[in-house]
Amino acid sequence: MKYLPLIVANLSRNKLRSALTGGAIMLAVVLVCLLMTMPEGLNAILEHAANNTRISVHNKAGMVYPMPYSFTRKVRQVEGVAAVVSHTWFGGAYEEAGRVTFPNFAVEPEDIGAVYPDYPVAPEQLAEFQRYRDGAIVGRQTMHKYGWKIGDRVTLRSTVWPVNLDFRIVGEIANGMAPQFWFNREYLDQALKAQGRPGLGIAGMIWVRAADPNRVNAIMREIDDLSRNSDAETACETEKSFFANFFGSLKGFVTIILIVTALVALCIVFIAANTASMGVRERAGEIAVLKAIGFGRRVIFGTLLTEAATLSALAGGCGVLVAIGLTRVLREFAGWSETLGPLSNFIVTAPVIVDGLFLSLFVGMLAGIVPSWGAARKPVVQSLHEVF
Amino acid sequence: MLLPLSYSLRNIRARPGRSIMTAGVIALVVVACTLFLGLISSLQRTMISSGDPRNLVVMRKGSDNDGSSQMSLEAFQAIRFFDGIARDTHDQPLASPELVVQPFFRTRSGGRENVLVRGVEPVALGVHDSVRITAGRMFTPSAHEAVVGRGVQGRYAGAEIGSELEFGRGTWKVVGIFDADASSFESEVWVDVRELGNDAKRIFPYSGIRLRVASPGELESLKQRIDDDPRYALEAQRETDYYAKQSESATTLYILVVGIAVLAGIGAGFGASNTMYAAVQARTAEIGTLRALGFSRTAILVAFEIEAVALSAIGFVIGALCAMGLSLAIDFWMGGIAFGARTFTTNVITLRVAHADLAGAFVLASVIGICGGLGPAWRAARLRPIEALRKA
Amino acid sequence: MQAPPPSATTPLIVIRHVSRRYVRGVDEVHALEDVSLSVPTGHFVAFMGPSGSGKSTLLNLVSGIDRPDAGDVFVVGQKLNDLSEDELAAWRARHVGLIFQFFNLIPVLDARDNVALPLLLTHLDKTERRRRAETALRIVGLAERFDHYPRTLSGGEQQRVAIARAIVTDPDLIVADEPTGDLDARNAEAILSLLRQLKHDFGKTVVMVTHDPRALRFVDDAYHLDKGLLLEGEDAERASAAIHLAAGGGMMSAAARVGQ
Repeated sequence: MKYLPLIVANLSRNKLRSALTGGAIMLAVVLVCLLMTMPEGLNAILEHAANNTRISVHNKAGMVYPMPYSFTRKVRQVEGVAAVVSHTWFGGAYEEAGRVTFPNFAVEPEDIGAVYPDYPVAPEQLAEFQRYRDGAIVGRQTMHKYGWKIGDRVTLRSTVWPVNLDFRIVGEIANGMAPQFWFNREYLDQALKAQGRPGLGIAGMIWVRAADPNRVNAIMREIDDLSRNSDAETACETEKSFFANFFGSLKGFVTIILIVTALVALCIVFIAANTASMGVRERAGEIAVLKAIGFGRRVIFGTLLTEAATLSALAGGCGVLVAIGLTRVLREFAGWSETLGPLSNFIVTAPVIVDGLFLSLFVGMLAGIVPSWGAARKPVVQSLHEVF
Repeated sequence: MLLPLSYSLRNIRARPGRSIMTAGVIALVVVACTLFLGLISSLQRTMISSGDPRNLVVMRKGSDNDGSSQMSLEAFQAIRFFDGIARDTHDQPLASPELVVQPFFRTRSGGRENVLVRGVEPVALGVHDSVRITAGRMFTPSAHEAVVGRGVQGRYAGAEIGSELEFGRGTWKVVGIFDADASSFESEVWVDVRELGNDAKRIFPYSGIRLRVASPGELESLKQRIDDDPRYALEAQRETDYYAKQSESATTLYILVVGIAVLAGIGAGFGASNTMYAAVQARTAEIGTLRALGFSRTAILVAFEIEAVALSAIGFVIGALCAMGLSLAIDFWMGGIAFGARTFTTNVITLRVAHADLAGAFVLASVIGICGGLGPAWRAARLRPIEALRKA
Repeated sequence: MQAPPPSATTPLIVIRHVSRRYVRGVDEVHALEDVSLSVPTGHFVAFMGPSGSGKSTLLNLVSGIDRPDAGDVFVVGQKLNDLSEDELAAWRARHVGLIFQFFNLIPVLDARDNVALPLLLTHLDKTERRRRAETALRIVGLAERFDHYPRTLSGGEQQRVAIARAIVTDPDLIVADEPTGDLDARNAEAILSLLRQLKHDFGKTVVMVTHDPRALRFVDDAYHLDKGLLLEGEDAERASAAIHLAAGGGMMSAAARVGQ
């Protein structure tokens, strides 16, 4: 646009002010991006879950109520079921005194790959997992967090079961957001029996992959029918519904985050508006002369608004880049946490970037509207009167 | 000779629009930080107040919370007669066997949450004496009745006196509401321990025991005896320590809040600086005159710093008031914030902004004002009178 | 720059029974009361009078910056009071070149860009805009100052850049509000001389508001206003004489001092 040189010249008129304003907006956008990673992270998980055909089967009474392991056999026989795997919470703590820092489950190595094709594990690694009883497959996020490599041995002390287990890492889930730790349920079963206990006769949760998405509802109904009137009545739901409910407990926290994000956005408006109005006030004389020469209201409004929006958008762009850089650093410290669960992933994804950029552009424009319109709207003669 | 305070204050009033916007930015930052700090301190307060320093928590060795612990009847019967345990008026030991389960509850809005249900015997009221029935009565054992904490009441379908509450494998009649000094107990439902064991089909009847120590001096030796007992692999700790550990996760949140505060604070500081720089520029002639009259550089510096600090003080007051109002509104509208803490249980926290939180926000606002105003004040002070007057 | 238009005899500006009042605070100011005059094409005229006489208001009406409450203003055949605010702006861009006492130039643009500013409102491309700006600057005698920023130009040079900007769109009318107000004697004379040159060499109509008595030596006509009224006949002559006396008196007292 031919007015660009004028706009750029005006922005570099008071470099300190432009720098301070730009800096403030940049920091605010960084903050917004970091905060928005949490709700967007949840959305991403829900989106991902919405696109697959997995069904969660759990005891109707609650997650801590187990199901008899024999039930898995019945589930396998339901028509339309492509694969079935059970998850039993081990609650293993790695070094950090008695605290679980990543979810770890006892599963069936033969079935885990079929139920979770979207959590990619190299076929050789799955084969190792099936071959060696003390093997473990670990999500990349946890691998990075502790600097583990394939072949390392780790010990987990269970906070739920009266055993500690030694594992050998044989595979990695090639997904940077995956924190889980899978191991062979036979291994836990044996360890319990070695102590003279009955063994692992239960399943905490059962995950089913349906062959055909259209059959999901029918499959869920059938599984629940199978368990009706037994000691462990089940409630099936799609994976998306499961996560939605799971995140339900985080709703309050997320609401606060959204409120704070809105507050920060409002800050940006104030800062940008303040700068815009200061500029307009100081340049009243020039603006009056421009109007006198023949620059119409729309042009004046347009250039002033573009000025505010440009500064805001540039600062916002930098903010997004800084946020991306920061999250890489935070990734070392973050990851799955007990309080926040998957919230503390702090990964800046595309939606977050779009949020950040859109915010800075939109907010910059919004902030500039009132001062620019005020300056443009005044009749020329009034502007001149005020100045001369 | 310093400039009078009114000089700084009157200048703030002279440009109300600009002052409001700057103070507004600081206010927003104060609100944001206060809310977050309030959230965390409310969480911590809930946790910490749950612990009674006179009580011990006994669990299976290796468990990190009573939800994942199991204890046999024999173990309980052996422990309860240890020396050092207080006795009630009927000379019965104040040893409360408890079973902790987290079943699904349906919320009023159709959502699903894990709630901590504690199976107890009547002696529990003696051990946890912060828990008081405020409406209705305590449940009758073997009648499938329940009493619910204040945080639970109204939150879930059927959580009112007289209603039927559905969880586990049956329905339970709510016969009372209890209060517990705003501790995490208020987010719990209490039922008869035997009935809960049946419902949850537990092999072990109890999760753990809570003991009241007879006197503070005997606490250590009692703890030691329990830890060292060769028959059962048990671990005892102070109830206050137990709950302190539960709230450790709040430390990670503190880091988050500090990060937010720093970023937002710097941003607000830049905004404040901007305003003050513009003020210095606009008042260049005035500053020149003052300096020519004989006011020292320090006097000018102090005057502008005071102006910046006053702006941030105004921002703090506005922000603090808004934050408190907002927290009340959030509480009212959301009925307490549900925090899915460890072990998947929902803790309902009443968001309350404490004095310490406001103090933290005050420090932040002050730092913003002092640092943000420093650059401009310095520039104002360094203006040479001749140049200032000439520029005008 | 073109030769004077063929219809040089029809007046460029016709003002008929124009009145303008505005409210300042609690008072209503009668800036102009029933003023009528016409300015022939290609003339260099001055509006003169004490402050508050209404001369600036009259200038604003002529340049289309303001609108009368009563009466008509015709400039270049266009009845200005018929146009809306936005239409007036467009009209000004095409037909009028404006020079002010202060704030003429945009400090962040160099002389060439300042002069080219009005051309942004046209459809000319960048090279053409630059060429015309440089031509205008040469006309006002600032061929070496294309890249200078206003802060590196003297008061007189800044005013000449403003004049260059006023002529760059080749307008029919040039309007100047106290163009010499801020300048010393030598620069003032140079500016007045330049304005006269524009009328003489390019046939521009120049209307100027001033209270500088030196102006009388350069203009074709001078209109005197007092308290919103146009002075005519004897009153006008008296006003003119008073100005001459003030100017002459100054010169005579200066000469007297030199003689001592």
